[in-house]
Amino acid sequence: MVKTTLLRSSKSTFLAAVLCCGLAPAQSSLSVTSKIVVSADGFLSSLDEGQRSKVLFEFNDAAQRARWSNLPTTMVPRAGLKMGDLTGPQRNAVMGLLAAALSQRGYEKVLAIVEGDEVLKAAGGGSRPMFGRDLFYISILGKPSVKDPWMLQFGGHHLALNITIVGRDGILTPSLTAAQPAKYTVDGKTVRPLGSENDKAFALINALDEGQRKQAILNYRVADLVLGPGQDGKTIQPEGIKCSAMNASQQAMLLDLVSEWAGIINEQTAAARMAEIKASLSQTWFAWSGPTTNGTPAYYRIQGPTVVIEYAPQPLGGDPTMHIHTIYRDPTNDYGKKAVGH
Amino acid sequence: MSTVTLKRMGVSVLLALSLTGGAAAHRLDEYLQATLIGVTRDTVEVEIQLTPGVAVLPVLMAVIDQDRDGRISSEEERAYVGRVAREVELRIDGVPAPLSLIESNFPTIESMREGSGTIRMKLRTERSGHELRFENRHLPQISAYLVNCLAAASDGLVVSQQKRDAVQTSIEFEYSFGADAVPGPRSAWIALAPFWPAAIGMLLVVRMAVLVYRERNTTRIAFKSSQVKSL
Repeated sequence: MVKTTLLRSSKSTFLAAVLCCGLAPAQSSLSVTSKIVVSADGFLSSLDEGQRSKVLFEFNDAAQRARWSNLPTTMVPRAGLKMGDLTGPQRNAVMGLLAAALSQRGYEKVLAIVEGDEVLKAAGGGSRPMFGRDLFYISILGKPSVKDPWMLQFGGHHLALNITIVGRDGILTPSLTAAQPAKYTVDGKTVRPLGSENDKAFALINALDEGQRKQAILNYRVADLVLGPGQDGKTIQPEGIKCSAMNASQQAMLLDLVSEWAGIINEQTAAARMAEIKASLSQTWFAWSGPTTNGTPAYYRIQGPTVVIEYAPQPLGGDPTMHIHTIYRDPTNDYGKKAVGH
Repeated sequence: MSTVTLKRMGVSVLLALSLTGGAAAHRLDEYLQATLIGVTRDTVEVEIQLTPGVAVLPVLMAVIDQDRDGRISSEEERAYVGRVAREVELRIDGVPAPLSLIESNFPTIESMREGSGTIRMKLRTERSGHELRFENRHLPQISAYLVNCLAAASDGLVVSQQKRDAVQTSIEFEYSFGADAVPGPRSAWIALAPFWPAAIGMLLVVRMAVLVYRERNTTRIAFKSSQVKSL
């Protein structure tokens, strides 16, 4: 729906170009990793020497690896190449690379977040823009390879994708998705970048019986993400209801909710990741803070041995339901540390 | 500075800010105080991250910037983190546990003005136990709080009975270290205590065996020497 809506937008020439260049699912004789590597090499070859030196980092550059935030790039500067500094074909190459690395719904989610920032820019005005699609950055750590580890970063205000690729494996953690406005219209169509994350969670909390809800709902306010940007390597004690206390239908709803993050990456990688999360579902917790009526601001957290997801409405600048921050982590494998030993 | 004064300052700044655009991206009218508590067998570490919203920064600066020069000197930094340390309380097994400042770090004023600057401080006590209570009483008029206990699976930490107040100024929980824990250097010796008598016994047996072997060897060599001499 987002794709269709955005395609109809006469204002969104950027998005139209983007969508033309490669939303087709990665189905071919080439492996998914090979396709990503070909796309990355294509993007790099479209750059001049100066641009290449800006976009490429050592794979072990720890500072660059952690240089991401929910905040605008004017407040927390990013490194790499800024979208606004690229030519049309170079931008298309970036978006082609993202399309190769992500699933279709993941790619559409990214587009919707970026477009939301453009809406915020249009609403804000000002001589020094803090928002908008030109202020997103791309960087590559290491050399794109089907065998050796490397990393692709794309992000800006309200978005940080950190994709570590190690052979066939793709690790999307840690990544941040966020939205402000969380709901906007393009050509009369409503776009909610994180709408499914909201609606599926409210459906789940309301599918729990009274006793289960009592376990799941925390008796205190959670004002923000606990393990957001800058909290790499930390894990907190879990709380809420354990999934072993849920029935099969409720467990399926929770997994479907998790897939909103785990399914951002391409389908092949996401399937393996979902299997991993499902395998430890009995040790996974679901915690909720806030009212349970959809449309009201509520925080929730999903936490298991290999996953931490937080969803936090922000009481900044008005209605908290219109400003959402989320974080997606794997405490055992952020930045692919299991495979590459960061 | 009185509560009423702080509230008036906050409200007036908030009203002024509401008339300007572009404030939506950053923390605005709250002073976020996020605390992470790390428990080990021998210590408790308290990491506090303090992020002032742009609307409450003038209130905070009135507290920190004692000489009102618009800057934060090293002395003012020290004085402020000292105040925060005095306004939090850690109790272990019901007894106050003194917290020592391990490190602190201040952001630039500019980043605080944008709502992205975070003051970080780490406190520690060399005590541990089974029940922990932490309370933060610093600037409640303008603050939002987060407080959590860090997980440390490799050390077998088990936390139960987590309780907080409605706005997370306080947390209390019980904790222990599981049998499958990977003990720390000091704890390893304590954990091996039941085996000490057996280990000492083994050493004695080995020592005796060595002595017997040497004794026999000495006798045999002496016997052979006497045979050689007799030849």
